[in-house]
Amino acid sequence: MALRTILLIATREVRQRLRSKLFVGTTLVLAVLLTTMAALPSVLGVFEPDGPGDGSAAVGQEPVRLGVLGSLTGEELAALEATFGAVETVPIADRTAAEAALTAEKDGVLAVVEPGERVLVAPGDGLLPTGQAVAGRAAEALAVAALFPADPDRVGAVLARPALPVEAVGQGDPAERFARVVIANLGVVFLFAVLLMYASMIINGVIEEKGSRVVELLVAAVPVRWLMTGKLLGLGVVGLGQTVVLFGPPIAVLLVTLGEVIPPGVGVLGVAVAGWFVAGYALYAVMAAGLGALVSRPEEAQAVLTPANVLMIGGYAAGFAAVNAPTSTWAVAASFVPFSAPFAMLVRQALAEPAWWEVVLAAAGTLATAAVLTVLAARIYEGGILRVGARVRLSAAWNGG
Amino acid sequence: MLVLHALRRRFGSVTALDGLELRVAPGELCGFVGPNGAGKTTAMRCAVGVTTPDEGRVTWRGRTVDLEVRHRIGYMPEERGLYPRMRVQEQLSYLARLHGRSAGWAQQQARWWIDRLGLGDRADSAVEELSLGNQQRVQLAAALVHAPEVLVLDEPFSGLDPLAVDVMSDVLRERADAGVAVVFSSHQLDLVEDLCRTVAVVSEGRVALRGDVAELRRGGDRRLRVATDGSTAWVGSLPPGAHLLTSSNGTVTVALAPGTDPGAVIDLARTDGRLVEVRLEQPRLAELFRDAVARREPS
Repeated sequence: MALRTILLIATREVRQRLRSKLFVGTTLVLAVLLTTMAALPSVLGVFEPDGPGDGSAAVGQEPVRLGVLGSLTGEELAALEATFGAVETVPIADRTAAEAALTAEKDGVLAVVEPGERVLVAPGDGLLPTGQAVAGRAAEALAVAALFPADPDRVGAVLARPALPVEAVGQGDPAERFARVVIANLGVVFLFAVLLMYASMIINGVIEEKGSRVVELLVAAVPVRWLMTGKLLGLGVVGLGQTVVLFGPPIAVLLVTLGEVIPPGVGVLGVAVAGWFVAGYALYAVMAAGLGALVSRPEEAQAVLTPANVLMIGGYAAGFAAVNAPTSTWAVAASFVPFSAPFAMLVRQALAEPAWWEVVLAAAGTLATAAVLTVLAARIYEGGILRVGARVRLSAAWNGG
Repeated sequence: MLVLHALRRRFGSVTALDGLELRVAPGELCGFVGPNGAGKTTAMRCAVGVTTPDEGRVTWRGRTVDLEVRHRIGYMPEERGLYPRMRVQEQLSYLARLHGRSAGWAQQQARWWIDRLGLGDRADSAVEELSLGNQQRVQLAAALVHAPEVLVLDEPFSGLDPLAVDVMSDVLRERADAGVAVVFSSHQLDLVEDLCRTVAVVSEGRVALRGDVAELRRGGDRRLRVATDGSTAWVGSLPPGAHLLTSSNGTVTVALAPGTDPGAVIDLARTDGRLVEVRLEQPRLAELFRDAVARREPS
């Protein structure tokens, strides 16, 4: 009977929220906005490679367009063709024209060679191999051509030798590193924002029942703990559902449009964010429910919620600071403190790759604390929920009014 | 039988219930009256399990009130409350289901009570859109929708207009006739006297007077009202069993304990003048109430 009743209460909470035009409308508008923002990079071509990926030759690829300031010798042209496969040269009048062509990506020019002098290139974005790589290869080709004047075959033979494999060590792929930093930052902000939002939603739900006095009718039929559990479950489902609606479409759009650009291994961090949302919600939601039973008016909600908010802000600050020092002692410590674990451990998972047992231990600690707080909050809820009017003292609620 | 066994409940230094005893049989319509702060609301909250007594227990048909028994009790709290934004039909159905009823049954009963209480065209309205009178009707329906065997109603007539009082009275009589044990508190003693077969007067956390209304009236101190054209100096020498209640403009009202001869008082009054009016009445419930409370509060 307990489960049936708790589900009944949870279902009512879900239905009431979904019936609110403001709630549904705001969620949908935000979802559309976020999805649009996610689609923008693809629509604007922000992440599209602007030439051959690594600047090497590839059969069937379009010719690499190079600006030429001055004139190329036969050996130099042969060297460039041996490097890139096919080369299309664009005459450039002077340095100013070269800069204009590169910065404006005019005529698809990736680099401008000035034989015997230099290779010009626009600043890269640091994320994707672009003109920088092309320029490097072109400079190398011209240097080889200078070594073997009047011998285009030898130039071609030298340049055709396979290069030694290059292997990244240490911090790994810069693109993945960048993505992980972004997820760590956004994940902490996201967790903080949604936990704050749902703590507020819960306390207002408790106050609504207390303020409208319907709670006395309810507790005559249902044990107070079931009532609290059902409310937390219902609003938790609403929260998760809203999160999916808000962030599902934009993430799907990103995966479809930029799937090749998003580094592998980053997806699992999305699961971590969802997991820490559940653990963090369990922790802070029960605190909001217990504290909410102490007051009867919505204007008192934020004041009574202060202790929970202080802990949440502390956890958020710890997580945010951990982004800059994910392997520091205090970041590790913060990732095991239940109130900061959802934030700090998420950051460590993104940037420091903790052992699996560390993640499990931190999650278990958070959930165990949530379980203890549920018992404490239920007692406060029970002692305070029927006392309408002035704010109930914590000790009075604890002692059953 | 709903039985409140020697309930005691303290809130800090305040004693709300001090060994309160009450019995309400199936089919009985019992008025639960008492001055403000006497312990009526606390006793009713204990009866439905909302408040736990420090001592004593509540039983229905011999079984201590647990969750299953609570599902057989209909309750109207003194502080009225419903979900303001929830629709009437949906709210009543939800409350019936919270009392363990199935979804289909709950829907059907909610509809029946909506029609019975004249709310048929407001079934899909949010409660906050209804007039106060209609909100009171929904509140009554909320206590009845799960077909309870016991009804515990705290001040159900408070704030009702005369027509709504009639509707409420009819429903309570109807439920009692159907075998439901009904107990309700009220400060409207004339209404309790007209509606209830039994009454319990609470004072300082205990039942000070309890019984069948008609019998209590018969067994209470009768009221003798005597008016003369002379002075009222005779009230200073009233016989044993008679005590002065009021004296104004030559009209004296005296309470006569059972067995006291009214003729002795009338004869005494005639010593100071001619009789203008003599009336002997059974006490009203309000008078019994005052007597009972005064006995508990001798100051």
